Amino acid sequence: MSRDLRKFLIINGIDRRDFLIRGSGIISAVLLAACDSRGPKAADKLLKYAERKNRVVERKLFRHTSMDVVRAGAYDAGNKLPSYFIAPTVPVWDETARGKWSLEVSGLVGNPVRLTLEDLQRLPQTAVETWTGVPFSELAKFVRADPQARFVDFQSFDDDYHESWDIESAMHKQTVVAYGLDGKPLQPAHGAPARVYSPVKLGYKNTKYLTKIVFMPHMNGGYWSDQGYEWYGGV
Amino acid sequence: MTSPHPPAKVKSRKRHHWIVRVTHWVNFVAIVIMVGSGLRIFNAYPAFARKGEMFCCYPFEHKPIPAWLTFGGWLGGARHWHFAMMWVLVVNGLIYLTFIYLHGDWRDLVPRKGDIRDSWQMVKFYTFRRKDHPHQGKHNALQKGAYFALPIAGALAVLTGIAIWKPVQLSWLTALFGGYVWARYWHFIAMLVIVILSVIHVFMVFAVDPYSITSMITGNYDPALSPEARNARPFYHLLPPRRPAAPVPVAPPPTEST
Repeated sequence: MSRDLRKFLIINGIDRRDFLIRGSGIISAVLLAACDSRGPKAADKLLKYAERKNRVVERKLFRHTSMDVVRAGAYDAGNKLPSYFIAPTVPVWDETARGKWSLEVSGLVGNPVRLTLEDLQRLPQTAVETWTGVPFSELAKFVRADPQARFVDFQSFDDDYHESWDIESAMHKQTVVAYGLDGKPLQPAHGAPARVYSPVKLGYKNTKYLTKIVFMPHMNGGYWSDQGYEWYGGV
Repeated sequence: MTSPHPPAKVKSRKRHHWIVRVTHWVNFVAIVIMVGSGLRIFNAYPAFARKGEMFCCYPFEHKPIPAWLTFGGWLGGARHWHFAMMWVLVVNGLIYLTFIYLHGDWRDLVPRKGDIRDSWQMVKFYTFRRKDHPHQGKHNALQKGAYFALPIAGALAVLTGIAIWKPVQLSWLTALFGGYVWARYWHFIAMLVIVILSVIHVFMVFAVDPYSITSMITGNYDPALSPEARNARPFYHLLPPRRPAAPVPVAPPPTEST
């Protein structure tokens, strides 16, 4: 009721001009305070809730058949693929200090294994975009992954870097444990000796410098996920 | 300031239904947060061309958006805000559109024959090339255009947003907008349209029709104070008073008056 509002304003000695000036002042103050901020602390719970709900939607949207055929007009990027800055120094597996590199695949599996690079290369091979490697689904078959394992953790020797995934994304046809790029062995900048690569996840989910793949009944966060980026990170 | 008319005599006819008023203010908050957090996300790579390539149409390539225009604090935070608030924006927009469809308010907004002519008359009036405010319905022709264009720009922003959020899972949608790069351009174009129309809207509210603020809060509006009734141009109250208030003399005086 504007009559009540008007009465309220008159009682408080606020006329229309005052109301406009104070009103716009308050609105600007709130907007300015909100600028460059992370938003109110109380919203954190709400944002977490939204992230969980979004994850449900994202997993529903997830299709194993998305972009699994080469579209007409697709071309080989070749040397046109932009080279980009990665890091001033990249971790390198030091054989003299740590011995021969191997990849441990364990957790909820019937056949836990430790694979050398040669073992890995003997498994069925595929190429996704320009990455060569073992399809993750083949690896899961090889270690006889338990259906109870709904999540996978990809761990690395790059300090404590790891990221855990939902099993559907890991089992996607185009998720590979890659050891080659552009027909050459993987270079340290791209995660040598082996890294996970999938077009269905954002970059930070694709752990480089793999040492361990663990099948798990629960999710296990991740390096960036634990710092506040969304855990799902799917595209 | 005193109102010359007792409020009791004003016929209680709400200018805006409460659903329109609530969705308006929810939309305001949602758009501010979506734009702010979107600009913060943009700052992760504040450019339109790939590294080492040139872009024709943006003068600030690789210069981040000033922090005071952004919201979310950091990339992860801005992404959380963006992907949470998008639901508010979409649900709120759908409530609004469904309501104006069912309630008939769309009739005040849908373009009609003569709107372009009427818009031109409004421009002429605002630029002092026409003396009297053109006759209008609930909104003037320029307003109508803006309020009709906004939901379209909003829908474009939402669809292109989904296209760059899920370019793999919904690759058909991304392809519809011409691929990822173009979908991203369209997302920015939609945002710019929304921001420009909103800034003009807020400016005109304060400069021409401040009484409409009350109408968007309480729903009440006094037609006697409408811009048409007041013959209001932007900042009409700061402009010099109109020529000698000679209310149409019976016989025009021989002296020239311009």
